[in-house]
Amino acid sequence: MSITGSKSQPPGAARLGAARASGPSVADTLASDDFPPPPPLLESRYVFLGDEDIAFERYTSPEFFQRELRELWPRAWQWACREEHLPEVGDTYVYDIGPYSVIVVRSAADTIQAFLNSCTHRGTRLLAGEGSGYSPAFTCPFHGWSWEISGSIRNVPGRWDFPHVDHATHDLQSVRCERWGGFVFINIDPNAKPLAQYLDVLPEHFQHFPLERRRIRLHVQKTLPCNWKAAQEAFMEAYHNFETHDSPNGGNTQYDIFGKYVSRFIHNIGNYSPESLDDYPGEKWRKPPMTDAEMVAFLAVYGLDPGSVPQGRTARAHIAQALRRYFGETLGMDFSTVSDCLMLDSIEYHLFPNMFFFPGINIPMAYRFRPNGMDVDSSIFDVLILEPVPDGAEHPVPPEPVKLVVEQSYTEVEGIGWLGPVYDQDTGNLALQQQGFKTSRKQGLTLGNYQESRIRRVHLTLDEFMSGAAAME
Amino acid sequence: MTGQQWHRIASALDIAKGKTLCVEVNGREILLCHIADGVFAVDNLCTHAAARLCEGKLKGHRILCPLHGAAFDVRNGSALTRPASVPLATYPVRVDEDGISLLLTVSGDD
Repeated sequence: MSITGSKSQPPGAARLGAARASGPSVADTLASDDFPPPPPLLESRYVFLGDEDIAFERYTSPEFFQRELRELWPRAWQWACREEHLPEVGDTYVYDIGPYSVIVVRSAADTIQAFLNSCTHRGTRLLAGEGSGYSPAFTCPFHGWSWEISGSIRNVPGRWDFPHVDHATHDLQSVRCERWGGFVFINIDPNAKPLAQYLDVLPEHFQHFPLERRRIRLHVQKTLPCNWKAAQEAFMEAYHNFETHDSPNGGNTQYDIFGKYVSRFIHNIGNYSPESLDDYPGEKWRKPPMTDAEMVAFLAVYGLDPGSVPQGRTARAHIAQALRRYFGETLGMDFSTVSDCLMLDSIEYHLFPNMFFFPGINIPMAYRFRPNGMDVDSSIFDVLILEPVPDGAEHPVPPEPVKLVVEQSYTEVEGIGWLGPVYDQDTGNLALQQQGFKTSRKQGLTLGNYQESRIRRVHLTLDEFMSGAAAME
Repeated sequence: MTGQQWHRIASALDIAKGKTLCVEVNGREILLCHIADGVFAVDNLCTHAAARLCEGKLKGHRILCPLHGAAFDVRNGSALTRPASVPLATYPVRVDEDGISLLLTVSGDD
């Protein structure tokens, strides 16, 4: 096998980025499914974005990290919490990002506001904890200044000494706050464009799979031993499935770039193509290919008897049907006409800079990756398992996050099931990667033109933030 | 002479899960907290500035002070966030069909 690294396009060569794995594509699979998916899942939108290496210093340099803290995090929309974290007036959620801390509060039955978590007197952080809380008013622990939850200054002890203090100057500093899909987003930049301008296709696509009708079944928050970008990039492609997960079905994954802020992959489950592995080492899953019985064994992760695939049926259709029954019974909902794709597949939308939304039923997560405080080499990974809520049912109180340190295994988390070992495999490479960045003579990482294109998209948009171009638009 | 004595809190029979009830025993306010792991009893006054925790909110196993937002773990009284640093006193709880009882230290005068 020859490896050619040409960056210029030889005459007569196929367009860069146009090559695909052999075997049926995701579109081919979806077209042959018993239950077709809603239109957004039939869209395919890829653009070639270049093939230059991405510099390792973007993941390791304290200077680059400081620039991100200055140019990216205080200007990017990011979800802080879910609306169900704030069911009653006075409920709060503190979201920390780098050196910044934001209080999100339900200040009236239909109003959610956000403020910088800082006293307008001498700057002290008002709420020490992170995550969900409750404050009928905010009181600074230093000198006792207090504010209504609307941010309006309420009491200044020794008022006589502060004739220069009033609402205009000393109400809490507001932070932009908008909602989408049951998530509460914040943006520290008072001049940020509205959230809708960042969401691109998300509102249109997610009309078909409303995330506001989901509840948090499980929230796991783990510290990872790498830069936040390396952490999230481990989840942006399925190219790693063969080596990291010992799994045959990453090669045919579909990757879409919808704009500067939103990308997607669709990774089929319950089928694979042996042809997609034609140049992978060894003959595993090619000679002989996986049998239907091996394919449907997946159902055992839900404690289901895989049974045998009826004549004339695909393993994928068989698994999808079993999951319609299983989730129908366990969630008390009707999935009888839901597409095979939504029932089974890993459908992953990414929103710049650090958020993922999965509309599927079998794979129903939301992720968020962010720096761990001020440490360029450490990050925090939030996983929400977002189960559908039956029509008319209210959102239950969300569970507190289960917090894991680097050394802990996801399998320690009660209720995480089959995803525990998978997340251990995904995150197991990250310390090695962060170390490898630093020892390499080669200056940057190399990306596949198609399978790793979403990673490049994030870096290109990040550069726009770093140069101020994003704010100028 | 001091000793320990179980005090029945009959009114505590119906604390819904996720809710609290403030009771007064021997002049001391005690907060009963019904969480997923059972019923736990802690002092009702925050160890930081003595705000009444019954005016705050129970979230999971954390009771949140209404004044500065300090959180305590009701299972063991530990202070989880500043500005509180001193743990809350906790009291053994016994739940049976008659209600909830607390084990309290009493002096000989009681």
